[in-house]
Order: sequence, then C-alpha cells, then structure tokens
Amino acid sequence: MSLVTLIWSMAAASALTLAFLYAMIGGLTERRDRANLMFCLVAVATVLVARAEVGMMHAGSITAFGEWARWYHVPLFIGVVGQLLFVRYYLNAGREWLMWGIIGARLVVLVLNFMVEPNFNWTHIDSLNHVRFLGEDVAVVGHAELRPWQWLPTLTRILMVVFVADAAHQLWRRGGAQAHHRALVVGLGFALPIAGAVALAQTAVLGLAKLPVLGTLTFMITIAVMAYELSREVLKSRRALQEVTELRRELARAGRISALGQLASALAHELAQPLGAILRNAEAAELQLQKPAPDLEELRSILADIRKDDTRAGEVIDRMRAMIKRRSVETRPLSVEELLRDTIALTHAEALARRVRLDCVVAPGLPQVAADRVHISQVLLNLIINGMDAIESTASEQKRILIEARAGAQRTVELAVSDSGPGVKQELIERIFDPFFTTKPHGMGMGLAVSRTIVEAHGGRLWAEINSGEGGLRFRFTLPAARGAAA
Amino acid sequence: MSRGVVHIVDDDESFRTSLRRLLAALDFEVFTYACGTELLAAAREVRGCVLTDLRMPGLSGLELQGACARAGLELPFVFLTGAADVPSAVSAMHQGAVDFLEKGAPREALVAALERALERARAAHAAQEQRAQLRERLATLTERERTVLTLVVRGRMNKQIAGELGIHERTVKLHRTAITHKLRVRSVAELTLLVHEADQLLRRA
Repeated sequence: MSLVTLIWSMAAASALTLAFLYAMIGGLTERRDRANLMFCLVAVATVLVARAEVGMMHAGSITAFGEWARWYHVPLFIGVVGQLLFVRYYLNAGREWLMWGIIGARLVVLVLNFMVEPNFNWTHIDSLNHVRFLGEDVAVVGHAELRPWQWLPTLTRILMVVFVADAAHQLWRRGGAQAHHRALVVGLGFALPIAGAVALAQTAVLGLAKLPVLGTLTFMITIAVMAYELSREVLKSRRALQEVTELRRELARAGRISALGQLASALAHELAQPLGAILRNAEAAELQLQKPAPDLEELRSILADIRKDDTRAGEVIDRMRAMIKRRSVETRPLSVEELLRDTIALTHAEALARRVRLDCVVAPGLPQVAADRVHISQVLLNLIINGMDAIESTASEQKRILIEARAGAQRTVELAVSDSGPGVKQELIERIFDPFFTTKPHGMGMGLAVSRTIVEAHGGRLWAEINSGEGGLRFRFTLPAARGAAA
Repeated sequence: MSRGVVHIVDDDESFRTSLRRLLAALDFEVFTYACGTELLAAAREVRGCVLTDLRMPGLSGLELQGACARAGLELPFVFLTGAADVPSAVSAMHQGAVDFLEKGAPREALVAALERALERARAAHAAQEQRAQLRERLATLTERERTVLTLVVRGRMNKQIAGELGIHERTVKLHRTAITHKLRVRSVAELTLLVHEADQLLRRA
C-alpha cells in the first residue's frame, strides 16, 4: 500500500472514530450538544475530503481527476458549514449575517460546480502532471485553464478567517479566564489552518508549487482543536457534577448537624437523667456501706438500678452517634414501627419542653421498608421539629403533631407528619422544598430540601399538603417495601 | 433527728428513687412526687423545701413554684436541671429560688443548697410563728387599749393622751398597765419596738 493511501486513510479513520465517539458521548448542555453535532459533521466531511484527495492524486485520467475535483466540493461545503456553525455555537459569538453570507456563497459555488464541465475550478484540463509526493508519483493538474470565478471560493475562505477572528475577539472582550482560553484556542486553531489552506489551495490550483490538494490537513487540524475543546468541556462538566454531588452530600450532613444542634439540649437533658441517677445511687450506696449494718437488699436494688441507667445512657449516646456519623444511603429491611418509636424517643424531651403532644398511629400489618435508618430518622426528625416550630408560632391551644404510617400504592409504605400549625399558602406549597426557602427567622431553609433528597435517594417521594382537619401542614412520604417482605 | 423535710418532684422515676435513697441516707425526711400536681394535692401545710426538676410534663418546675406561692405555701425551691440554661435560671432566681443545680452536681453542693433552703424554711416558719403569737396577743387588747397603745407609741405623754381622749389621767395609766401586762413587755422602749415589729410583720402577711 502506498504511503499516501496509508496516511490519508489513517486520517479518515481517526476522523471517523472521533465523529463516532462524540456522537456517542452526546452532550449535557445545549451549547455542547450543538457544538458536538457540528464536530461530527466536520469529522465526516474530513473523511470524504480525504477520499476525494486520494482519488485526485491517484487519478488515471484527466476525466477522473476532473470528477474527483468536482465531488471534492461536496465534503468541502459540509466541512465549511460545520466549522462555521461550530464557532458560532461553541463560542456563542460571531456575526450571523457574515456566517450565512459565507454559507450562501459556498452553496452557489457548489451548485455552479455541478452545472459546468468539468468542475468549478477549471474550464478545461488539458494534461496532468505527476510529481513526487511522500515518495510516490501523484497526479497534479498540468496544463489547464482556470475559471474566472475562481476568486469566489478564495474570498469565502478569507471571510471565514475574518469571521473566526471576529468571533474570537468578541468572546475575548467578554472577559474571564475561560473565555480568553476558548477564544485563543478556537480563534487561532481555526483561523491559522484555514488561512494556510487558502495559500496551499491557491498554489495547487494555480499550479505554482506542483503540490496535490491538501485540504485534509486543514480539516484534521480544526478537528483536533474541536476535539480538544469538547473533551475539556466534558471533563469540566464531569468535575462540576462531582462538585455538585459533593456539595449535596455536605448539605445533607449540615442539615443533620443543625437538626442535632436543635436537639442537643434535649439530648443533654435525656443524658442527665440516667447519669444523675447513677451518681446519686452510688453515693447512697457509699453511705449504706459506712453504716455498721448495711442494708444488703437496698444495696442490691441500688446496683440493679445503676446497671439499668447505664444502659439507658448508652442508648442515648448510640442514637446520637448514629446521627452524627457520615454515611451514604445503606438500605436495610426495617420495621416502620421501630423506626418511628426510636425517632419519637429522640424528640420526646423536645416535645415535652415545648408542650407539644406527639401522637403516632401505625396501621397494623405493615411490611418492612427498605431504608437507611439514620437517614430516614433524619427526615422524620426534620419534619417533626419543623412541625414543632410551626406550632410554636401560633397561639393555638391544640399543640399536636400526628405521625402516621400506612400501606401505600405499589408495595410502598406511606408515612405522614401533620401539625396543627398555621400552614402555608397553597401557592407556596411546592416552594417550601426549595433550598434556602424558609419561614423561620433563623432557619437555613435546608431541612426540607435535604429531606426530599434523602427520600428520593430511597426511591420514594416527599410532598406536602394542607392539613384539611387542623389547618396546618401535612408532609407525606413514601418508602419502598423491603424485597420479600410480607405485605 | 431529721435534718429537715425535702419534697422531691421529678417525672423520671429512676432519678427520683436515687435521690430519695441518697437524701434518706443523709438523714433528710424525704417525700417523692412524680409531678407538681401531686405535690400541690398532697398537703395544705407542707413543710420543708422542694427539690424539683425544671422540665417536666404537666407543670414545669417554674410553674410549680408559682402555683405554690399562689396557694400560700411558703416553700423554698431548689431546681435541678439536665443542662443549666441561663434564661430559666434567671427566671427561677427572680421567683425566689434558693439554688439552681445541674443533675450531676456534687453531693456537697446539693446538700449545701438543701441546707440553705431548709434554713430559709425554718426562718420563714419562725417568723410565721412569731406573727401568729403577736396577732394573738394584740387580739386580746380592747378597742380603747389599742387606741391608747397607738398614742403611746407615737410618744404622747399620759396627760396629752387623757386630753385627746377626754378621759382621766388615772384611767390612761390603768390602760397602760393592762397593755404592758397583756403584751408582756416591761418598758415603753420595748413596747415601741414590739409594735414596730408587729407593724412590719403584719404588713408583710
């Protein structure tokens, strides 16, 4: 196989591969989507350009050469359109009228090309020359007459350089390191090879340097520039996505910690009971032992109580530790009843301090749910504490939070937390889930947003509605039943 | 001999029991209640001091203190709390709490606080006794004797009193003898002091 065939088909193959690759990757943003499409277009055009060039170089006759030169205009047109639109979409800059003007002129060239013999460039070709190129004899135009409209495609190429330079300049003026980088890479990466191509094409067409037509080279350079830019974009959005995920995780944790902060004093109270009891019992035992005849029965019951209170304190600490621990969602089959009982135990002291009655109604025979205990407790805590805050802002006598669990549709369990607070207006009911939306003077507005993220991570749904009975809000969320759980 | 009566109010049974054990072993006379309402219902004439949890279902510690004051129970309060929070402490002190302790406070601090509270209870009790006695003694004076007493305390001479009341000076002297006898005092100075004290105590009652 000849070197020319080898190099040109390799170029074509790599262009095709890139086109395929970027078509597969697709895009995440609209701008990248369209730029991606244009990239694929240019890559496909490059393949055809390469084929036509090899055809010209290996042409056995004047007619064959003329035909290849004529068909050469088709991928050229596609490539030009692709390059122009890429610059327009990717840089989001450049004068549209200039762009469409160039495309229109190229279309005229393309149409005329097929209306005249043998092609747009020459009125007639009398002979072919053979020159040494990459150690091979290749056909170039010999004696031929150029068409007088020859200046038109050259002009379009020059206008393309102007268009690209202008677009890059516009972007540069908008400022920012990113914009500067993009303007520089795309501006130079397109303008220089296109300008070079004009020079090369002119030497080839005019028969000055006795070189074959080398459009593939230009196209390969612009493809490389486009691929470089697009892959940078892919990497960037990938990194951005990672950052968003990281941020969301941080927020989930922050939400948990702020809920903890609210509960800290209540938990301290809970811990103080058993610890205080242990201390007093131990002191009482000491005094017993100092007596001449210690009451052994009393000492035995003191020790039993100390043991009991120690376990109690340990449980409080376990609950707290489970809350603080940073974990990803790990679903396990859980009993809804147990889950509710444990969570309500955590809010018990808080409810007591705020004089809120917590009622819990669990439908009998519920299946186990597939859920992460800590995360779902977090959601329940959020909703219960929110409810308490809402109730606190009213003078209502009926300070009550109702927690319900019942079977939902399609193998789910539905949980609901209703309060007798003031509620919100119907039109705000969806907005309360927006991050940083809050009705509390010192709220961060993260609780519900985080809760919704958690529930959705479980494959459930969290929504709010006006509590028709008592006028407050009712939050409902679903959790999938554990696989294999009895309904 | 008991060091005094302590009424423990706490909703946590385990804590209540441990406290009862300790204080009983320290020779206090202890009564326990699961909530404030129980204490209020227990007795009209509660003696000693109250040792109560701050946060409880039903009546909170502070509310119990207010309810006792309204019911005329002069009980010094010592508060226990899981985690001392400043606003409640300030509020409790304003209402006349003797002390405000964390549940895990050292035994010595707890006992000292109870001693102070009981001391105050005893003082209040003694003052009450004294007041009752004085009221009793003053009640034995006749209307006329009381008028004479008022004038004597104001520093009037017998002659002036006689003139003001339109009676004989001898009669005034007789009244004064009856007064000093009934109130068990020996001199005018002592009499003045007593009347002044009575005035103070009775005004506060």
